[in-house]
Formats: sequence, structure tokens, C-alpha cells
Amino acid sequence: MAERAADRVLRLIGMVAYLDAQGEATLDDLAQRFGVPQDQVLADIDTLWLSGTPGYQPEDLIDFDGFRLDRGLVRLTQARGMTRPLRLGAREAVVLVAAIRALVEDLGPALDDTRRAVLTSALAKLTALTGSTTGSAEAGTVTVDLGVRARADIAATVATALAQDRRLRLRYVNAADRTSLRDVDPVRLVADAGTGYLLGWCLAADAERLFRLDRVLEAQVLDTSAAAHDVPADADRFVPDGTATVVTVRLASRARRVAETAPVAAVRNLDDGSFEVDLPVVSTAWLEHLLLGVADDVVAVHPPRVAQQVAATARAALLAYEQLATDREDG
Amino acid sequence: MVASIPSDERLLDLVIALVNTPTRMTKEQVRTTVAGYADAPTRDAFERMFDRDKDTLRELGVPLVTVTDVGHRDDIGYRIDLEAYALPPVDLTGAELGVLAMAGQVWQDATLRTDSARALTKLRAAAPSAQAGDLANIGLAARVGAGGAALAPLLDAVQQRWVVRFVYRAAATGEVRTRHVEPWKLAARRGGWLLVGHDQDRGAPRSFRLSRIEGPVQAVGEPGGFAHPDPAEVAAAEQSWMDVAGVARLALLPERAEALRARALPTELPTEPGDADGHPALRGRDIVEIAYRATWELAEEVVGYGDAVLVLDPPPVREAVVRLLQAAARLDGSAGPESTAGPEVIAGPEGTVGPAAPEVRGG
Repeated sequence: MAERAADRVLRLIGMVAYLDAQGEATLDDLAQRFGVPQDQVLADIDTLWLSGTPGYQPEDLIDFDGFRLDRGLVRLTQARGMTRPLRLGAREAVVLVAAIRALVEDLGPALDDTRRAVLTSALAKLTALTGSTTGSAEAGTVTVDLGVRARADIAATVATALAQDRRLRLRYVNAADRTSLRDVDPVRLVADAGTGYLLGWCLAADAERLFRLDRVLEAQVLDTSAAAHDVPADADRFVPDGTATVVTVRLASRARRVAETAPVAAVRNLDDGSFEVDLPVVSTAWLEHLLLGVADDVVAVHPPRVAQQVAATARAALLAYEQLATDREDG
Repeated sequence: MVASIPSDERLLDLVIALVNTPTRMTKEQVRTTVAGYADAPTRDAFERMFDRDKDTLRELGVPLVTVTDVGHRDDIGYRIDLEAYALPPVDLTGAELGVLAMAGQVWQDATLRTDSARALTKLRAAAPSAQAGDLANIGLAARVGAGGAALAPLLDAVQQRWVVRFVYRAAATGEVRTRHVEPWKLAARRGGWLLVGHDQDRGAPRSFRLSRIEGPVQAVGEPGGFAHPDPAEVAAAEQSWMDVAGVARLALLPERAEALRARALPTELPTEPGDADGHPALRGRDIVEIAYRATWELAEEVVGYGDAVLVLDPPPVREAVVRLLQAAARLDGSAGPESTAGPEVIAGPEGTVGPAAPEVRGG
């Protein structure tokens, strides 16, 4: 997708202000700082070179030291008054503050002191900065709850293991409600769709796994150093493997949240306001848990055996409640 | 004649011209002197082009002000407020810039991502001492879901205290109705985005799920259309979608629901199997007490365990679980007599039904 004109203008203005304050920068520094390839930096410099005040005579234009540029060094010789970095817009400030605040508040407890300090100081500086451009009343107009609910002792243990690069031993209960001991080399914390996870390399499975922090029952830092593993950058997103079967669930409109929070392969909106999701399912226990939780919004499930299984589970539970009620009446 | 000038270069030249103008520039001066505007073939085309450019610059945070000459009322001029233009000095380290960049990546919503990216571009320009390569590997990743088409207009409306109108589908009743709301704040949480505000039609604070807003969000009246809300009132309205937090008593089958056991409160109650409340149906079950925030939230979690977890108290949680079970029991087509039972039991104050828990995915 082509870059939007507005975003490029912002970078061009930013580059001039940066170079004016910095004196000189390498092409590589500019490329890294502004997150674009060096070719784009060169194209930006070419554009700036032709820009200036009306009249557009040589003395009206932004100018660079061409001799140095040939050696990969960018030095501004004429800024045409564009020396100040542009303030943050109200929305920009609020949105970025909300994001960093959520990280500090929700993930901070599971980070070691050094990392937490960086997050905290970034938030403090940004808040001080934006407090002067937006009123304090605006600051809290966007808030985020990342939903990381780990026990404090477990969060602290995971933080230590991540910081010291040590192996963890977890007592973990999975979606099928089975508890086991896992030795895990921690990779990173993940907060996704309102749930906190530890991404780690599970020694038993010899593969990366996401562990829900609220299902970690005990955590212990082992003396062993964590080994290096080849974990793909996108490993913290759920990608079903070949063993997944696709289950299609049709849901009433008000269960929209399922499409937003569950790892859905496809969503189809239907004319009556309901919608269908295709769910790649590895764990039937996970699916059953999901369907029971939204049961009053489920219109249809395919294949039918999934519906039969969920209905059977529900009937067994209803029977237990009935017995409970009978007991109580008798007692 | 030279080739037409791209809009990004025209915008840049407009900013440079307005930053450097000693007093102001009239529209006519912009048209005849700023590079790019001569490309507009007609007066109307120029007006449209210039209006669009002004909007873009304001969107970027450039404080463009209109100056009217007292002697010539029709003669509108423009300049940039240089006092308001500049970012105050900010001494961010490379590591801090790194975590701010990562924070911006949290948003899955395109609007919020763009806003964050723009903020980052400005901050990077303002922090010359920070080394670009000095970005800490912070060891975490977070994602907050998209808010849909309603999010961007609501964000603006919240910042500008602008009353909005939208069509909303209530969760409890399915009723679709136009709402007039003073938007106070937006909150992202498990299961989606909420708008908290004052419902003018109800005359009371309400929270609304963005996913239930149908069609466009329209601004009503003028910016600044209502007073800053009282923070205590906002907090109360936001909390109201969580009903009364409390303690629930659960009966668990042995060696099941370890995740619930791990959260059990210390209790004086007998927890040994067999003697719990003296009910035969509870024989062999362990009784635990756990704290919960909302009826629907606990009901949704507990129901997933089937008969391994029974709710003893409080009754509203137990009833919510039973209702979900009754709905689930009908999923295979065996409709029972209670098949018309309404689903509204787990609705919050303004139809904020709890989000689905994304269960464990691997591990």
C-alpha cells in the first residue's frame, strides 16, 4: 500500500527538525530512526531539497551539504524555519499514553526491575509531555485493560526467569483440565485479546507453546540456563497446525465478541444479523468451554457431533444441579 | 508546463510557507504562490484542494489558525500558531523510544495504529540524543483488538466533548434504537471496546459495546457540547457493567478445575469431601470459595467445566450457569419445555454481556 501523503509529510518535517538539532546524521541512522529503507531517506532528501518558501529560488529552499551526502552523511545547511518538532495531536497523545500505561500497569508486575523502569520512565515522560498539550481531563479518555491476571508470585517468578534467561518449571493446567509439570524456556510475555500468556519453549513437546498465566499453578526458576530456540517472530499468535479440524459456529449478533476474541479462520455475516465463524480446533476441550460459555447465543454448530457432545456435557451438569436441588428440598 | 506536484510535496510547501509568513497568507496568496496549487484548474477545484489540505494539516496536529482582517471582512487569511506548533523538549532515551514504539504496536485497530505511528515519528524527531539502535528487547508483546468503524469518530467526539448519535442494539432485549450520548471515555478490555457516557435519552450514565453500534456515529451540535464529566461518575459508570463483586462457593470434583482451586480463598469451611453441607449430591466434592468480579464472567468460566464444577452460591451465578447449560443442552435439537427462556440474565446495566474467554491455545 502506498504511504499516505500525510504520514510522509510528518516524516519530512520530523527529519528536518531532527537534523537541525543533531547537526549531522548517517543515512542508516535516519532510516532506522524513522523506520524506512535508505532509498526512501534519499527520496525524502530529494523532496526536501526542492521544498521551501514561495518564490522557490535557491535561497528559498531547504538545503543539504551535497558533498557530505555523497559520503552517506546528511547535514542540513538551510532549514527554512522548520527547526521545531511538531507537537503531538490530542488523539495521538491519548492513544500512545493509553498503550504504554496498559503495559506498565498490566505487564509491569511480570517484568524485572530494569525493564519495568524503562516502561515507567517512558510513561512518566510522555505524560509530562502530553499534559501540556492536552488537558489532564483528556488523558484518561482512553483506557486499556490487557486482562493479564497472574498471581503476584507467579508473575514475579516468570519475570526473574525472563530477565536471567533461566529455565522454568511450571505446574500447568490445560484447557482439558489436566495438570502436568512442564519445563519451559521462557521467550516473552504476551497479552492478547484480554488474556495474558507466557510464550515459551516446552521441553516435553520440543516446540514453542503459549501458557495462559492464569493457568500456571506453580512456577519455579531452575538453575539451568534457558537454551536458545528457533522461535518464529509470530509464534505468539495462534496458528493452527495440520491437526486442526474446522468447526463452523453460527452465532446471534450479540455474540460478536467471539469473532473478536477467539482465533477465527473466517467470519461470515448473514442477512438476519447473525454470523458464522470457522474455528480451527486443536483442543475439543477448548471448543466445548467456548460453546458452553456462549450457549445462549449459539444458533447452530457444524459438524453436528460437536453440538451433541456439548449438549451431553450440559445435560450431565444439569442433572447434577437437579440432584443438588432435590437434596436441598429433602434437607 | 511541469508535471503536477504530488500532494505530500504540496502539503509540505504549505506548512513551510505558513510557518515563514510574517503575518498571514490569504487564500489567493496560497493559490498563486505556494507550489502545487496552480495545478488546480478552476477556482472550485482549488477550494476543494485547499480545504482538504487544511483538514489534513489539522489532523496532523499543525495548529492552523484563521485570521480575519478587520478592514476586509471577506479577506480570510491563514497562519500557523508557532507557539502551539512545537513539541516541548522531551529527553527520551533510545530504550524509552523503543518501548513507546512497542506500545504503539499494541493496537490492532488501523486508526489507533496510525495515531501511534504519527506520535512516534514526532517523538523520534524530538529526541536527538537517543540512539536509534539502542532499542531494548523488552521481551513482551501485547495486542488490543480493533474497535470497528465506530472507534475513530468516537475517539474524536470524546476528545472534543461532542454529543453523538448512533443506532444501538441492546443486548438484553435485542431492541434497536437511536441513542444520544455524551461520550466520556473509551475502554478496551477483554472482549472488546466500550463507550462510557451519559445517555441523554435515559438521563443516566450508560456503557455501550462498540460492536453493537450499527451504522455511522454522527456528531450532534457543536464541540464542547457538555461539561467535563466528574471522574467519580465516569468510574462508577465504567464499573457498573461489572455487577457487584463478591465471593462464590463452588463444589468441585476431586482433582478437577485446578485453575479455580489456585484462586481459592482461605476459608474456615470444611473442604474435605463428604461432609460438605451434608448433601448427598456433594459427597466426594471439594468446596472452595473464590472471589469474582461479575456474574456473567464467573458463570461463563464455570459453565465450561460441566459437572466438574457446581455453583452453590450465590443464586444469581448458579442461575446464570443453569441457563447457559439449558441452552447448551438444546444444541443437538432436543428442545426442552424451557426453550423460550430469555438469555438476558447475564446482561449488565446497558446490555453489556460479558466477553468470551479465549481459552488456552497450546501448551
